[in-house]
Amino acid sequence: MTKRHIEIAAYALFIVVIMLAPLVFDSFWVNRLAKYLVFGMLGIAVALSWGYAGILNLGQGLFFGAGAYMLAMSLKLASQTSLQQGSDKPVPDFMLWNAEPGSQTDLCCINKASFLWIPFQNQWFGVAMGIVLPVCIAAVLGIILFRKRIAGVFISIITLALVLLVRLLIIDAQPITNGFNGLTDLGWFKLFDFEFDPYLTQTYYLIAGSLAIVLIAARLLIETRAGLILQAIRDDQNRARYLGFDVPRFQTFFFTVSAGISSFAGMLYVIAAEFASPTFMDLSFSISMVVWAAVGGRASILGACIGAILINTLTATISETKGFAEAWKAIIGLIFVLVVLYLPRGLAGFAHDLSDRFVARFNAWRSKGAAGQPANKVQPAE
Amino acid sequence: MPAALTVDGLSVDFDGFKAVNTVSMIVDEGELRVLLGANGAGKTTLMDLISGKTKSTSGRVFFYDTEITNKEEHEIALAGVGRKFQIPSVFKDLTVRRNLEVVSCCHDTRVLANLGFGFSSEGEARVDEVLELVGLTNDAATIAANLSHGQTQWLELGMLMVQNAKVLLLDEPTAGMTQGETLKTSKIINALKGKHTLLVVEHDMAFVREIAERITVMHLGQVLAEGNVAEIEKNPKVREAYLGSRAIS
Repeated sequence: MTKRHIEIAAYALFIVVIMLAPLVFDSFWVNRLAKYLVFGMLGIAVALSWGYAGILNLGQGLFFGAGAYMLAMSLKLASQTSLQQGSDKPVPDFMLWNAEPGSQTDLCCINKASFLWIPFQNQWFGVAMGIVLPVCIAAVLGIILFRKRIAGVFISIITLALVLLVRLLIIDAQPITNGFNGLTDLGWFKLFDFEFDPYLTQTYYLIAGSLAIVLIAARLLIETRAGLILQAIRDDQNRARYLGFDVPRFQTFFFTVSAGISSFAGMLYVIAAEFASPTFMDLSFSISMVVWAAVGGRASILGACIGAILINTLTATISETKGFAEAWKAIIGLIFVLVVLYLPRGLAGFAHDLSDRFVARFNAWRSKGAAGQPANKVQPAE
Repeated sequence: MPAALTVDGLSVDFDGFKAVNTVSMIVDEGELRVLLGANGAGKTTLMDLISGKTKSTSGRVFFYDTEITNKEEHEIALAGVGRKFQIPSVFKDLTVRRNLEVVSCCHDTRVLANLGFGFSSEGEARVDEVLELVGLTNDAATIAANLSHGQTQWLELGMLMVQNAKVLLLDEPTAGMTQGETLKTSKIINALKGKHTLLVVEHDMAFVREIAERITVMHLGQVLAEGNVAEIEKNPKVREAYLGSRAIS
């Protein structure tokens, strides 16, 4: 038995558990859990960029939000409320409320920028844009930042400023984004003829299945030679450069993959939660993601994922328990402090040490067993 | 014998201070050249200029017939110039074996080409061979951060061996080593001789005598003298500039 076996077992166990969860919970909790699984996916994205690439992106919410908004635009147009506005073509209700008197109730010209919504009448355009847009933003941003050799805290500051800037833009572009209110009253995501009602078990499985695939793919990505080179770059950029590696290219690639995972999570969240709002780009949300990964263990894909799910479940449970309704933030805060103080590598680091010990014991026990009864066993003195 | 490394009138100007001033030298293929000089003579800066860390203000650098002046670090490395730093730099969170395996990927540095698993069998064989050469076979599974100072230096030398660059720039490979460690390092460097062209910055004269063929002495950013150990030891200009009135040793 080796540590690799234990790791594979942990991944398998996690996937089995999330697949069996709907058997235990009611549909309200299943929907809730689906959202937490989406956060788990964000944990994976953070672990990939922070833990493995050494890039602490404090604006992960930008990609999550971009993915969410793109799909939400499509789902908004598919909603009943968009079709009941006195036009045979879908028009989002908020556009009508704010339309100038006498303007034509059509996406082309109800306001100056509403034409941007036209292609979103096709749901798959929304899905495609939900990946393409964030990935392009990340690729361009990555090329600029990493070619300029910006690193460490400066990356964090720039990404943090950027997510706030985009949040402001979205709130400001009220005529086409519904500003502060975000996009609500969305239709359901459709696959063939099946509609994913967020409270159906099928929707849960759509999300759980996606999470399982992303989890395994991310773990395998780390295992490739490129993943190893990435970790080398994290440890010592200069050394990697003088070995001939084009460092910015590797950093940009993994930064973009991380952004892609975040935007995918954003889309799944819209399916489960039925809204997209500027709060996705709040600073506190992006920082929460980092905290989830830190508690779970940023150097572990599975750890960060479980960290996110665990903290969110815990937060919900504690904040809804009578008596803790006021104190829950203090309790969660205390847990963070304890983890950072006593488990600097997070829960995954703790599990890592435990499995080290277990493997050592197991191997000692087996070699003893293989050698038969130990011959020179010391007998206690009578 | 062809010139592996040609430096032609290389200068760098840091706001009026010329750290390296019209330095020219030719290092032949397979040669081991030692760069000698007091602190601030410009030895490390010269290496920085050759390897692309610092951009020169005038002059040119050639690797064989290819001009590599002021190219990006990774381009110069890919052309065939490897470098070892004065402060040993290895990938400290990876095991010793992983450190060498990373380097074995460096012959194809594209991202997508490296999305596969595992390493070529030649690569693995080379890693085993190098582990043996630098005496780290028993520490292959050790995390690099837990190695001793000397072992870290050897690991970095091992990484250069796997990289297999034709020209190697070694900046004080014995800095901070015990006598025993220095001896072992000189053995490793002697094993590199002939297969690679080496340019070594070094202060330790015992070590220089052990490895050197030709020595270039630098002083205040310029080349002061060039010759073999005996010539340099006798050279009055070197004695005056580098050693004061005392003799070498």
